[in-house]
Amino acid sequence: MEISFTQILIITLYSFISAIDGLTFQVGLANAIFAGAFTGLVMGNVKLGLAVGATLQLMGLGVASYGGASVPNYKAAAILGTAFAAMTGQSIEFAIGISVPVGILLTHVATLVRFANVYFQHKSEKYAKAGNTAGITKANIASSITWGFGDAIPTFLGLYFGSEVVGFITEKIPGWLITGLGVSGKILPAMGIAILMRYLPFKKFYPFMILGFVIAAYMKVNLIGVAIIGFSIAAIFVIHKEQNGSQTEGGEIDD
Amino acid sequence: MINEDTSRKVEKKDLNKVFWRQFGLQVGWNYEKMMGMGYCFTMIPIIEKFYKDKEEKKEALDLHLQFFNTNPTMAPYIIGADIAIEEEAGLENKEAINSFKVGLMGPFAGIGDTVFVAIYRSIVFSIAAYLALEGNFFGAIFPVITALLLWGVRYKFLMVGYNQGHKLITGFANQLQILNEAATVLGLTVIGGLIPSILNVKTPLVFTHGEVKMELQPMIDKILPSLIPVSLVLFCYWLLGKKHMNSTKLIVILMIMGIALGALNILK
Repeated sequence: MEISFTQILIITLYSFISAIDGLTFQVGLANAIFAGAFTGLVMGNVKLGLAVGATLQLMGLGVASYGGASVPNYKAAAILGTAFAAMTGQSIEFAIGISVPVGILLTHVATLVRFANVYFQHKSEKYAKAGNTAGITKANIASSITWGFGDAIPTFLGLYFGSEVVGFITEKIPGWLITGLGVSGKILPAMGIAILMRYLPFKKFYPFMILGFVIAAYMKVNLIGVAIIGFSIAAIFVIHKEQNGSQTEGGEIDD
Repeated sequence: MINEDTSRKVEKKDLNKVFWRQFGLQVGWNYEKMMGMGYCFTMIPIIEKFYKDKEEKKEALDLHLQFFNTNPTMAPYIIGADIAIEEEAGLENKEAINSFKVGLMGPFAGIGDTVFVAIYRSIVFSIAAYLALEGNFFGAIFPVITALLLWGVRYKFLMVGYNQGHKLITGFANQLQILNEAATVLGLTVIGGLIPSILNVKTPLVFTHGEVKMELQPMIDKILPSLIPVSLVLFCYWLLGKKHMNSTKLIVILMIMGIALGALNILK
């Protein structure tokens, strides 16, 4: 399937708006699942988009921009991966396999934007010296445009030259590599989970993770069920903690 | 201290203006002052109201353009408290305002990035991705609903911060600690369940002993369901503990590993 210029424009516009949303109102337009689903909708294959977006989202589960660190651009990866797979009729795993390098390549877009925004900071400092509050308001709002273009330009270029890239991929890439990329796509979400285990106090709270695993793996409870059980355990944990707390306080008075 | 200067009286509508502006806190994020511009941008309705005198206004703008960086969901608490301090004392003690902001932003970044980024993401996006992988469009909508709940959290933090002023009640820190631990319990339970739910990599290997063919996967399943996914997660966990390892390097390692194991027909 070919991509039309209108489709390219719609997806590029989405990419622009969602980039700004991701740093302001954060209503969830900028995550990989939404990006995949939206692109899938425009390309006429929602299921493909959902699956590509979800896998990339899981990969990036523990990868967040803590303190402004640059991380792979999973949103652009989900958009381009979904679009490329829709254009060629390739499998979901293949789409993930090619979208991951795209995401890594675009890691440094955010770094560039953060450098560009120093310009607006300096402008604001100049306005502050003049007591110009409206100027600072404008400068801060203007800095959102750099985020918009930071995502929209690579997305547009990727989609515009996509058919050539995809043509090259389907003609030149050998079968074994495509099979291999499929397996890569399947094992990459393990990383997202591992990063979370590193970030959270896993060593202290590991029994809860085993519990979640057993409920899902042996008892075949689906993930929403696991989350509800997890919520109950967390609530019990809080009750227990609060009771313990008041008991110690009481004990101190008795002493 | 009683505030006799009536021009410095915060009304609900001022706080509402600040609430809308705090969404612009990190949009101007830059390597020099990080959220400095965003903080100043957020405080502008207050600055306009409190400091009618031009020199004072310049001073306030300069003060709030300084370096600032914390978790954006918890930042409204600091902003609210800052407003309360300035409502009482104006710019009398700029160092106190600055050290208050700087003093809180570190611990708040720590708690906020754990609860509202790491754990929030692990729960919300695990469920969303799980639904999406089943082809359920609600997977794309679910994070939008929870994002709106976070709006409520931000609003609450702004109000609580304003009401508590600079008198940081220790009980609040205690509550946050319990919330943090409870959220960790929930988060880890969910990601434990996530492993068998979404990682379905298997081995197609078959051993042949004369006439007898033995598939490896059913044997593995009897030892531990999802043994391969669990091993992969533990392998990544172990690698991430190595020096000089980061997520981008790990992606490259996993990509190469996947291509090799897939091409050799060891995993599928």
